[in-house]
Amino acid sequence: MPIYEQTYRAYEGKTLRGFRWWVMVKQELRVLFATRPFLYLLIVAVIHVSFRVFQITVYDMVSMANQSAALMALRNIAMMQVDERTFFDFLRIQSPLVFLVTLFAGSGMICNDFSDNLIEIYFSKPLTRLDYIAGKIVTLVLVGAILTAIPDILLVVLHNLLAPGRETLRETYWIPFSILAFSACIVLPCVLGILASSALFSSQRYAGIAVFMLLFGDSALGSALPGLVRNPNFSVLSLPMAINRMGETLFNQPKKTFPLHWGWSALVIALVCAAAYWALASRIRRAERAS
Amino acid sequence: MAIIELTDVEVSYGAVKALQGVTCAVQGGAVGLLGPNGAGKSTLLKTLLGFIRADAGEAALFGFKLPEQALEARQRLGYMPERDVVGRKVSAVSFLTYCGCLFGMKRTDAMERAHEVLNYVGVGESRYRKMQTYSTGMCQRIKFAQALVHDPKLLLLDEPTNGLDPEGRIEMLQLIKELVHKRGVTVLLSSHLLPDVEHVCDHVLVIHKGRIVREGSIGDLTTARENLFEIRVRENKEAFRQALEQAGCTLQTHPNGNLLVEKPAAMNPRLFFEIAQQKKTQVRHFVPVRHRLEEVFMQAIGRR
Repeated sequence: MPIYEQTYRAYEGKTLRGFRWWVMVKQELRVLFATRPFLYLLIVAVIHVSFRVFQITVYDMVSMANQSAALMALRNIAMMQVDERTFFDFLRIQSPLVFLVTLFAGSGMICNDFSDNLIEIYFSKPLTRLDYIAGKIVTLVLVGAILTAIPDILLVVLHNLLAPGRETLRETYWIPFSILAFSACIVLPCVLGILASSALFSSQRYAGIAVFMLLFGDSALGSALPGLVRNPNFSVLSLPMAINRMGETLFNQPKKTFPLHWGWSALVIALVCAAAYWALASRIRRAERAS
Repeated sequence: MAIIELTDVEVSYGAVKALQGVTCAVQGGAVGLLGPNGAGKSTLLKTLLGFIRADAGEAALFGFKLPEQALEARQRLGYMPERDVVGRKVSAVSFLTYCGCLFGMKRTDAMERAHEVLNYVGVGESRYRKMQTYSTGMCQRIKFAQALVHDPKLLLLDEPTNGLDPEGRIEMLQLIKELVHKRGVTVLLSSHLLPDVEHVCDHVLVIHKGRIVREGSIGDLTTARENLFEIRVRENKEAFRQALEQAGCTLQTHPNGNLLVEKPAAMNPRLFFEIAQQKKTQVRHFVPVRHRLEEVFMQAIGRR
């Protein structure tokens, strides 16, 4: 027997204004972190981070102990050396994982809202189109940052803590900025492309396959075209190559990808982001009107 | 200030005019929105939600102009869509808490409110189950609950009894009625089910081909028909019937067994009692037959 009458009561609490997109971000992250496959993928990312922690710890301990012979030996093993290349490689190796994780997390993010008829519910609340889009984008960008920028910056901090001194600081003070910029180059096109695909296709599976095929086709084009026209600069048409070229520039690495100016790579990345955002925003605008 | 105020609202989809010169003002209570498919009901609801900008005219909710101040208006309204809603990975409590947070409620407040509202709509312990496992009737209750979670002053309900069993339907209608009469919530109920509208609403708007073709209180619209009466007598039924026919009345039998008597315009109803007295019987039931809402609706859309 109920101890009080279960009836409808007026709500007398306060309501806050603004930042509705942040409510969406929190909810999406809550749902994602309750999903087991997503957690497994994060564990895979932790393995790589653990290896880098081990690498930096060993290198810094040896260098701080002034064991010159051991240090020389370590420097000969490229994999164990710690410099800007280490942080660049960390992001480069993480990028396929970023793609997989955001594909898993994002491919159903919008199409499921459509198929579950949730769009209509959301837009009947004080939520704008921009809030909705921002909520989805920020969620995936945060997931991408968890895999790229955040651990990489923490590795730089770890390096400075284990080998404290002006020299380390002088060598690494600029690296966090490069990490943030390169992370953005990896994460943003990935996130926007996946969300656009999720908005355009009716099912999570189709959205995932479409992104995968598009990336595969683009990479194939970027690999085949330079050979056909005998000009390596055409590799810029491949998004992964353009992103890699940006990384080489941001981390002062030799141009191994193609010799074309990095501005072209930035343009390709910006165009991909703009096209994906346009597709995403126009689909949501249509959905709001049709819901 | 009217809660809903539409003045000469026109909305078109390309060459098709979905709403034409719609003007109405809803001050409160429960209003039924009736109309055949494609009449413009959904377009009217979308305009009220601020999804669609009117080509001409003005629309306002609580004095907030639409769609410019739609967010302010939406803060005060709850919308229950017609289509089924399924949150695949979340429970009803989690979904409603999220909806509450979208209205700007603190998470703890939203959760408390979610539990209250789910109890109120009768979801009970099933509130912890994932929403994808719910039956159509349960989904309907969840849709209703999400519209109530922030304590709205206006409810826009699109076919709220779809998919509900008879018992569930009566419960849902009772809940809506209670909200209107005891909590002072204004309801705009769009439904094809005229008995539902008749049960809950005080007023109706009949919309057809984008125009409001009839509006008013149900009491006024379903006025008594001047010459039609439902009569039951105790005995000598056949003699009474013959006498009425001789007096020029047209007779039919109501499904409940009573006589439906249409008298000539010049005949005084007092004559029924005199005939009964002559035929040595007593009139046990005598009521003027009212227009049914269905008749009003059919007449308004030109089908009868």
